[in-house]
Amino acid sequence: MYKDGQQISVVISINNLYNKHIMPRLGDDSMEILKITDLEKHNKDTVLFSAFQLTISANEIVSVHSSMNVRSALLKILMGELPASSGSIYINEKDINESKRSYLKNISVLFLDDGLYERLTVKDHLSFYQAIFSSNFPIEEVARLVQLEDKSKVRVGKLTFSEQRRLHLSRIFFQNAELIIFEEPDQNVDLETKRVFIKAARELKARGKAILVLTGNMESALAVTDTVYRLDDKGLHPIEIQSEENEEEMQEGEPEEIIIQPARFEKIPTKVNDKIVLFDPPEIDYIESSDGQSHLNIKGESYPCMFTMTELESRLIPYGFFRCHRSYIVNLQKVREVITWTRNSFTLVLNDESKSSIPLSKSKMAELKEMLGLK
Amino acid sequence: MNMSIKRLMAIFNKDYKDLSRNLYVSFTVVVPLFLAAFMGRQGNIALEQQYMVYNLTLCLVTAYIQCALIAEEKEKNTLRNLMLSPASTMEILAGKGLLSFATTLLVLGLSAFFLDYMPKDLIVVTAAMVLSAIFYIGLGTALGLMTKSAMEASVIIMPFVFVFSFGTSLSFFADKYPFLHAADYLPNAQLLLLAKEVELGAGFADVWSNLGIIAIWVVVMTAITVAIYRKRMVD
Repeated sequence: MYKDGQQISVVISINNLYNKHIMPRLGDDSMEILKITDLEKHNKDTVLFSAFQLTISANEIVSVHSSMNVRSALLKILMGELPASSGSIYINEKDINESKRSYLKNISVLFLDDGLYERLTVKDHLSFYQAIFSSNFPIEEVARLVQLEDKSKVRVGKLTFSEQRRLHLSRIFFQNAELIIFEEPDQNVDLETKRVFIKAARELKARGKAILVLTGNMESALAVTDTVYRLDDKGLHPIEIQSEENEEEMQEGEPEEIIIQPARFEKIPTKVNDKIVLFDPPEIDYIESSDGQSHLNIKGESYPCMFTMTELESRLIPYGFFRCHRSYIVNLQKVREVITWTRNSFTLVLNDESKSSIPLSKSKMAELKEMLGLK
Repeated sequence: MNMSIKRLMAIFNKDYKDLSRNLYVSFTVVVPLFLAAFMGRQGNIALEQQYMVYNLTLCLVTAYIQCALIAEEKEKNTLRNLMLSPASTMEILAGKGLLSFATTLLVLGLSAFFLDYMPKDLIVVTAAMVLSAIFYIGLGTALGLMTKSAMEASVIIMPFVFVFSFGTSLSFFADKYPFLHAADYLPNAQLLLLAKEVELGAGFADVWSNLGIIAIWVVVMTAITVAIYRKRMVD
């Protein structure tokens, strides 16, 4: 009885708090957690990124795809380790310049270079995190969420890199901050760990957190969310995911006669410095488009190609290629696995050396199933 | 306050488990114990020799453990997350200090047992030892903040081991080189002088000058540590 009474009083006080700040009531999805305005960063002569705005609300996941320099600069600015050239950042309406401590209290970051205590076991870590963050999140539940239940008595030094990354992730659950930043969450990890990350992101989203994924890999950006931006010296641009038809309409005006050739000869030209290098279609693993330029990926190397994605698609369809995403064409001969993360998030894994993974959009999944003869 | 103590204890526990499995660091704990046991077998040891063991313990165990604990957090990239946690820097350093302190008391107690040392006034000597331990924890913290890895920590501690443990014998040569009288004011020398006084039947009232000098060292060390902390933690 007493406990119930206490809970009610807590809810009332939270409601009062919201009234005071004239903020939306609890349960409103549009509650802004992170608000970045006109943030820009120059380094000597180069522009790392020009001014951009970004807001992330509770229950929202946003991915920002960028180069490594941009990513580390943005993260340092967010953590207050590096001053921005201009602009401001608010987390829960708190400016970093007002009080760094209360600002940082609302962020938890999964750093790429996070550390662990090698001599302690997994369980030691979990109970340490639980105590230090004064969390009441049960240890067993976190161990289950990060799939380390069976490793609880193993010393961290003996874990694989992927398992260590999952242990890093466990900290986020205990920390319970409003804004969660993932820095390259699935770089160099195995598929199980990637699945754990995606599930964790969804779990945290459901708990009303705002999640920002910083990555240089488009596929991992797309695996967690549909809201993906690209950040570079030109600013922040949304990467459209649903407008596949529009582009094709726009390209339709071009004459296609040149493509049809009398003899059966089909090579794909690419530019390497000043040379033109020709590739056989079966050599190609997949084609990726970034910044309006298509790149052929062959044995882990990337070659810029003169054709647009639409032209390449029509040329390569006879060779068993498939447009699996707005910015990807994949050689179906090289596809080893189709992974279903959730009901509408998929990834293709190739059997090339680096086991590249490529996003597969929802609408294309049905098409692919049809091609494979699955209904 | 209660939360703060909980966090402090969490850090203490974590560091205790980590330290007990860290052979490099825990080996240094064994060195003074081994020395004490070895000297104890010979029987009838001079106070100067005994106190070399205690001063060695204070430097090699107290300061080194504190220093290595901090340096390793930096080396393994775990300090950043600790700093971003609700635990304040004070709590983090105090948690580690508590562990160094507990280990020191244990090693000093065992060494005294091996050496059959029973001071005439246990309370005065204990008070002086505790005060010295605080100084060495401060020293370890300052060195820990300056070093970047556990390896670096074990090198940087060496000059201090020489000065603060073997340095006690410097004053023997003071008749020849008068400037060595300054060595009498080192905390280790003061600890020995205090112990000698106690053996002659002195109480708190007679040794306040020795305790005072050690206390001044504590204050100076604390000021240095705070200064280094301010300077280092800005970047």
